[in-house]
Amino acid sequence: MITTLILILMALLGVPLFVVIVSAAIVGFYQAEIDLVAVIIEFYRLAEMPILLAIPLFSFAGYLLSESQAPKRLVAFTEAFLGWAPGGLAMVSILACALLTALTGASGVTIVALGALLYPAMAQAGYKENFNLGLITSAGSLGLLFAPALPLILYAIIAQQLNVGGKPFTLDDMFLAGILPGLLMIVMLVIWSYWKNRHQARTSFSWDKAREAMWQAKWELPLPFIILGGIYSGYFAISEAAAVTALYVLLIEVFVLKEITLKRLPDITRDSMILVGGILIILGVSLASTNVLIDGGIPNKIFAVISAHVTDKLTFLTLLLLFLLLLGAILDIFSALVLMVPLLLPIAIGYGIDPVHFGIIFLATMQLGYFTPPVGMNLFIASYRFNKPVMQLYQATLPFFFILLLSVLIITYWPALSLGLSGR
Amino acid sequence: MSENRLVRVLQRFEDGLLVSILLSMLSLAFAQIVMRNLFNSGMVWSEPLIKILVLWTALLGAMVATRNHNHINIDVLSRFLPPRLHTAQQRLIHAISGIVCMLLAWESLRFVVLEWEEENIAFASVPAWIPELILPIGFFSMAMRYLLHSLHPHKRPVT
Repeated sequence: MITTLILILMALLGVPLFVVIVSAAIVGFYQAEIDLVAVIIEFYRLAEMPILLAIPLFSFAGYLLSESQAPKRLVAFTEAFLGWAPGGLAMVSILACALLTALTGASGVTIVALGALLYPAMAQAGYKENFNLGLITSAGSLGLLFAPALPLILYAIIAQQLNVGGKPFTLDDMFLAGILPGLLMIVMLVIWSYWKNRHQARTSFSWDKAREAMWQAKWELPLPFIILGGIYSGYFAISEAAAVTALYVLLIEVFVLKEITLKRLPDITRDSMILVGGILIILGVSLASTNVLIDGGIPNKIFAVISAHVTDKLTFLTLLLLFLLLLGAILDIFSALVLMVPLLLPIAIGYGIDPVHFGIIFLATMQLGYFTPPVGMNLFIASYRFNKPVMQLYQATLPFFFILLLSVLIITYWPALSLGLSGR
Repeated sequence: MSENRLVRVLQRFEDGLLVSILLSMLSLAFAQIVMRNLFNSGMVWSEPLIKILVLWTALLGAMVATRNHNHINIDVLSRFLPPRLHTAQQRLIHAISGIVCMLLAWESLRFVVLEWEEENIAFASVPAWIPELILPIGFFSMAMRYLLHSLHPHKRPVT
């Protein structure tokens, strides 16, 4: 008990989370009188999961894309097709953010890469400042339910490692499950943007502009088809799709379009690998701490306590949601995944919740955490990027928070939305 | 060679290694796809090699993240602390991290020795303990960096 408190205190003090997690594992092994070399043996299991290759390769591709002119073309492309409607530019922002986040794996890159383009464009088109700020900040984490976003991959890896029963599932099931809930979030934001700006003057759609934007984006246009087509059709394994994507992006941005010079390549690569190192090391130490949790039968004990008070699935789901919202406000999505999935998934399965549905609930709620006060990461990135006080961003994102919260409620209490496509 | 120069050379070496590893993983993974689809064959050693490169990416990435203060943490407190307390907090968290990483480096070294004694093979005829050396090296380097940060805490970045 005291150890747990000290560990939580360490985390709140700002000790890197991998240090906190590995400390928990060390204490656990020590108390169970297991040789501490076990921590390293567990960590070394990182080298036994071929699927992990997808993480560095997709991150690399995402960083390359965001450092090239691709975000600009993406905005121009969506604008040519949607810009004519009232609230059109807002819809452009929503779609562009969702696509880029899916590709770059939800690392805060989206706001940095797209914010600089969308924010001034929307201001110029006459959108109110707070609508503008709120939309871009909250859309910055949209899209992490779509393949190949890293959190989806990470959830599948962690859940499969656990081997805790429940209906078995594959990464493909997760990819399918994310589609409709992700679209629901997009549609709800689009409706809100249209409603808020319905009196805005519309411009006319121009075929010439659309053709020009399509021509400009000709090299990137095949990307979604390569990735999604490859993965969803089952032609590529996920790490193969990652390799093809990374190679393709490298070739077009560096050698065909020449927007990234060979000189800048090492820096961009290093930056993307810092993120990857941060995620993988947390995953590695969590393999050890999870082992301690499961050997100690902790999830079963928690389940016993909770099930004595909560008997039905719906009450449990509500408690789960509240807990995840709180968690998301202080923990980033990657740490939350490695820390909480091993603890919560067995309990959720105990209540008869499908592991795929649980994963989607978890990720959708954590997505809100990106801009939940006080410490949502995107709030600070946006505050820094647009030079606005964080307080103003709290206020600006509030309506968007409630809209997405509503969508999370729908996703939680309507399992078929997540499970229908994979026929579970 | 001055101390600063040495540090810079080391940093360049880390960065260079990280970039070459990523490019190797990329080429190997792509070569595998081509071999499988065109020649219906594969290279037996490429899959274990890729797995080891992923491990190397994890540790080298984490080493550079330590260098740049980029590890994932809960960054609530430091935003609200007055400067003097902020410095104390930085010393404390880096000291804790340094000690823990040192322990990990020691246990990794024992792990490598165990593997050496058991004469496990990683791939082709490369003994497993050689690529596993990245574990003690990585954790030791992180430990040293954390201890240095603890002795010379950096100032709060201006945001």
